Amino acid sequence: MNCQVALASYIAVIAAISTPAVADRSICAKSEIRLVNSMREIAQPYHANLDKGGRWFASWAGIKNYVLQLNQGDSDKQISLMRLLLTSDARCTVFNVEPNADLVIKPMVDAANRSGAWIVTHWAHNEGLHPFDANDHWIAHIAVDSLAAGVAISRSLVEAMGHTGGIVALQGRLDTDPAQKRFGGLQRVLGNEPTIKLLDQQTANWDRTASFPIMQTWLTKYGKEIRGVWAANDDMALGALQALRAEGLAGKIPVVGVDGIPEAIAAIEKGEMLATVSSDAYYQGSIGLAMGTCVLTGQVPMPASWSSDEREFYLKLVLITKDNAKQYLQEPQPDAYVGEWLCDKLWSRSTGKAF
Amino acid sequence: MSDPVLRVDGLHKSFDGVRALDDVSFELYPREVVGLVGENGAGKSTLLNVIAGLLSGDSGQVLVRGHRLPSANISAARAAGVAIVSQEPALLPNITVAENILLGDEAQILRAGLYDWRKLSSIAAAQLAKLSVAIPPLTLTGQLSLRERRLVDIARALAIEERTRQEPIILFDEPTSALDPEGIEIVLGQIEQLRRRASILFVSHRLDEVLRVSDRILVMANGRCVAVRDRRKTDFAELTKLMLGSVLESSVRPLPPVSAQQSAVTLSVRGLVRRNSYSDVSFDLHVGEVLGIAELAGRGADALCRTLFGVFPADSGEIVVHGRRIQLKEPSDAVQLGIGYVPPDRQSEGIVGELGIRENMMLAQCGEIRWGPLIDFGRERKVVKSWIERLRIKTPTADTPAHNLSGGNQQKVVLAKWMIGRKLKILILDRPFRGLDIGATAETMNLVQELARSGLSILLVADTVEELTELSHSIIVMKDGLVADRFSASTVKRPRLQVLERMV
Amino acid sequence: MFVFSPPAESDLRSWAPVFALIILSVGFGLAEPKFVSLANLLTIADRSAIPLILSVGMTFVVLQGSIDLSIEGVMATGSLVFAMSVLNSRTELDLGPFGLLAAALAGACLGFVNGTAITWFRVPSFLVTLGIWSVGAGIAMLLSGDQPPLIRDPLLSAMGLGRSLGVPNLFLLSGIVLLIGYVLQNFTRFGRYSLIIGGGEHLARLHGLPVDRYKVLAFTFAGLLSGLAGALESARVGLGHVDIGSGQMLATITAVLVGGTSLNGGRGGVLQSAVGVFTLAVVTNGMIFVGISPYAQQAVYGVLILMAALVTAYSLRASPGIVK
Repeated sequence: MNCQVALASYIAVIAAISTPAVADRSICAKSEIRLVNSMREIAQPYHANLDKGGRWFASWAGIKNYVLQLNQGDSDKQISLMRLLLTSDARCTVFNVEPNADLVIKPMVDAANRSGAWIVTHWAHNEGLHPFDANDHWIAHIAVDSLAAGVAISRSLVEAMGHTGGIVALQGRLDTDPAQKRFGGLQRVLGNEPTIKLLDQQTANWDRTASFPIMQTWLTKYGKEIRGVWAANDDMALGALQALRAEGLAGKIPVVGVDGIPEAIAAIEKGEMLATVSSDAYYQGSIGLAMGTCVLTGQVPMPASWSSDEREFYLKLVLITKDNAKQYLQEPQPDAYVGEWLCDKLWSRSTGKAF
Repeated sequence: MSDPVLRVDGLHKSFDGVRALDDVSFELYPREVVGLVGENGAGKSTLLNVIAGLLSGDSGQVLVRGHRLPSANISAARAAGVAIVSQEPALLPNITVAENILLGDEAQILRAGLYDWRKLSSIAAAQLAKLSVAIPPLTLTGQLSLRERRLVDIARALAIEERTRQEPIILFDEPTSALDPEGIEIVLGQIEQLRRRASILFVSHRLDEVLRVSDRILVMANGRCVAVRDRRKTDFAELTKLMLGSVLESSVRPLPPVSAQQSAVTLSVRGLVRRNSYSDVSFDLHVGEVLGIAELAGRGADALCRTLFGVFPADSGEIVVHGRRIQLKEPSDAVQLGIGYVPPDRQSEGIVGELGIRENMMLAQCGEIRWGPLIDFGRERKVVKSWIERLRIKTPTADTPAHNLSGGNQQKVVLAKWMIGRKLKILILDRPFRGLDIGATAETMNLVQELARSGLSILLVADTVEELTELSHSIIVMKDGLVADRFSASTVKRPRLQVLERMV
Repeated sequence: MFVFSPPAESDLRSWAPVFALIILSVGFGLAEPKFVSLANLLTIADRSAIPLILSVGMTFVVLQGSIDLSIEGVMATGSLVFAMSVLNSRTELDLGPFGLLAAALAGACLGFVNGTAITWFRVPSFLVTLGIWSVGAGIAMLLSGDQPPLIRDPLLSAMGLGRSLGVPNLFLLSGIVLLIGYVLQNFTRFGRYSLIIGGGEHLARLHGLPVDRYKVLAFTFAGLLSGLAGALESARVGLGHVDIGSGQMLATITAVLVGGTSLNGGRGGVLQSAVGVFTLAVVTNGMIFVGISPYAQQAVYGVLILMAALVTAYSLRASPGIVK
């Protein structure tokens, strides 16, 4: 054997040994993967559908280990539930997170980074925090443009009102990003509508039992001046609707909300609600898990190598009005999403870089 | 003589090692009034409470008409016809008089489950009429005066007449205490009426009342029944002697103290009045003087002590400390002025049982062992050790929980607590020798003398006349809240007798 | 027959809560005249209905010197039981008004558990009812599953939303409950013994009164009313909802306090608590009318309630004691 061959094989052996694990594309076997959906509760249809989407994905992908974590509105609990789970088998765990409040994201991302688990987050997070800033285990943040959602429903509302009259607005929890951004959307639209007046705004904290009495009081106070009802989510919109119903005004005054829950879509179909925006809970509940699975089975490269608009992007929202309500009325079939769970289609609903 | 309607046989009862009832036996005959007399702590109330079923006896039995009463069972006692009128009316303040009278027996005024207020009112009125009392039955009980509440309590006790077929046995525990003369007359009049249809056991510290109303008189002392007398065959003096008799067996007493009348006045009290407690109390307390307060029974002295310590204020009058007129809003004000207080109920008010001796001692005196904002434990330990030695407190360690100590040692801890600081000028001792054995009493007495000699002014309320006369420079005798007499021990030939005469 | 009712403490101080209510109402009315319009008064009445029902149950518990922290959980159970018993989107049942009975029964069962745990095991009411709160919420969650049942019975919806003789139906119902509470409080052993137990439980036991029995009764009654309240609220908003009682526990206790029923027990009553309920309703409604910004409302609400409570507490002042 001459020296060059020996040297070459020597180098080849060294190269083979010292190749970083990244080149080894398959990290976890399907049987090892654990899928986790972390959300607030299960009683609201929105969350129920998040969970359903996640289960559909797990069943389609053939992954048996699916965990649901509910924090009942307690941010500390959401974080500690995650940490608890990570004490075992962190490496092959994927978290898909609907954050209770913006502030939970950083601790959860840190937990993922430290333990080697993987996390995909939704909605919004604190300023200055990004997946692509050396948070290698933070696969992606799928943002929802709440401002755009607010603008969309507000535009529908003012058009239906004929650009004249008074609006009452029901805000969500005032310290959350969706609440602030959606209301911001309303304010932006109203900035261009001099003949429309914002009569009053109150917070009902996302809750229909709170929005009902507020609407009642407004009807007493403003009476016929109210020509449109704006609500930051469907639950509050439905509560207001109930108050309108009591006065026989259902269907006569347009009501808008956000979330796209079945009850709201049914109301839109009936003509009692005007519009809502859906982020598609089934999709949100499953896409993060799909991304994580693709990463863990080596079918996509490590997130660290993705572009920043693949790591953080806005989710396409659907404005649901009477025109398209029918198609969203039925509960969708799992098959409808399969195409988007494929590893090369993961960004099919991206509308571009977020923030 | 017919069979006794009530018989008590060999009753024993102890509280935390203190003998409240010691082999008590006696009999009560039908339509008889038996008066029960004795000093504070002789066991009279305890006896009544056991008979009425409010307390359980440790051993012995209570028989009503030959049948044994189950222990600590008020319903059984009431069913047998035994009712008690306690010193504190057992009435609920937030309901009407009528409801109190019929408490537990409302079934008779219910119509389809609903109260027939008219009927309730009339039945209650009938009960009150038995006593010739004119209180509107639907008055809220809390609005009544003490006298009225007493009468309602009696009416409530009497209501069992309608429930049992036999004549009731009514136990009266100090029914005239804190009443004005008119009220006393009414109550005594009631008892005289009642004896025609009930058998009565009547406790009072006022011998004149007992002598007036009773057929026989039972004398108790230290939990024992020491004598039974027929009313016609005894008198004031004999009764007094019997009541206080045990004190005459005294052990070695310390030398009489040195007179200290000439020194400066530390505490001056003028015209202190508090409703239902004491009235028109005035005295001067000098440096190094021990002022003894004698009161046979009742709460005037006790209330006076608490007022001087800031627990509750007097209604009128003034308190002057070191020449300055003061207002005491709460005990910490008193402590700031150098006033200390040793309460009679050591277990619940003097020591904190669960805490160790060290912590108990330091309770009032954090300033002594402070090091900036922190407690200097080293210094604390030294101070505590020195006091344990000085007072010869018998304890395994400085951290032993206080409730493990004997009564006498507990008392020393309490005293040490006050003596540790340098601020103490006036010490109020409220029955400090209670529950102490002879030896502990002697030691504590020595301590008190030592304190007086070192310049402390001491107000002493004593249980026995002996303690008073041996320790005090001056003596005030209180009777029913008023100062009956005041004299200096050294100027009177036979102080004990003088006190006794004034007290009763 | 029953001519008199027993005397309450009718001195000036016990009227303080009523004065507070009047002053607040007048104040809001001056700031915004529409506040005192008939329409708004009816709105306030409607808004007070459910809290009124809850306050009657709570009053008896508090009179006895205990507390019931479970009402939100029991309301949740009542809400779901009701929603699933009547014509709805989830089950095939159609019990109509008997759905209300079912809800009340479910609530009574939970209340009974409260009462027995407190009396048999001698666990403080604070702890037991806290636990039953979670149990009630849990039951509701299990029943609710992932889709809350929507109520489709038009009669019940009409009851929940509609009016009779111009007065909101729910308010009429709450008036009936208040009347029943008043009769119970002043004309039955349950009511009078509750006062006695609160005023001196030790003394009551000493007199041989069956204290435990009446404690269980009070908690069962409170549970029954909570279950009923949950059902009625559901009829109003149109679905069975786990969070139907959200915020009611604190609001009810506040109302009872502000109205003049002492948390130590032994004084107060359902009428006083009703005054407290109206006071809270006036404040929440008034703030919207006057236009107080939602960002400030929480704070303003707190200040107003604190003031009302101070006025009431000042009038209830007894000799200095231990304030917990």
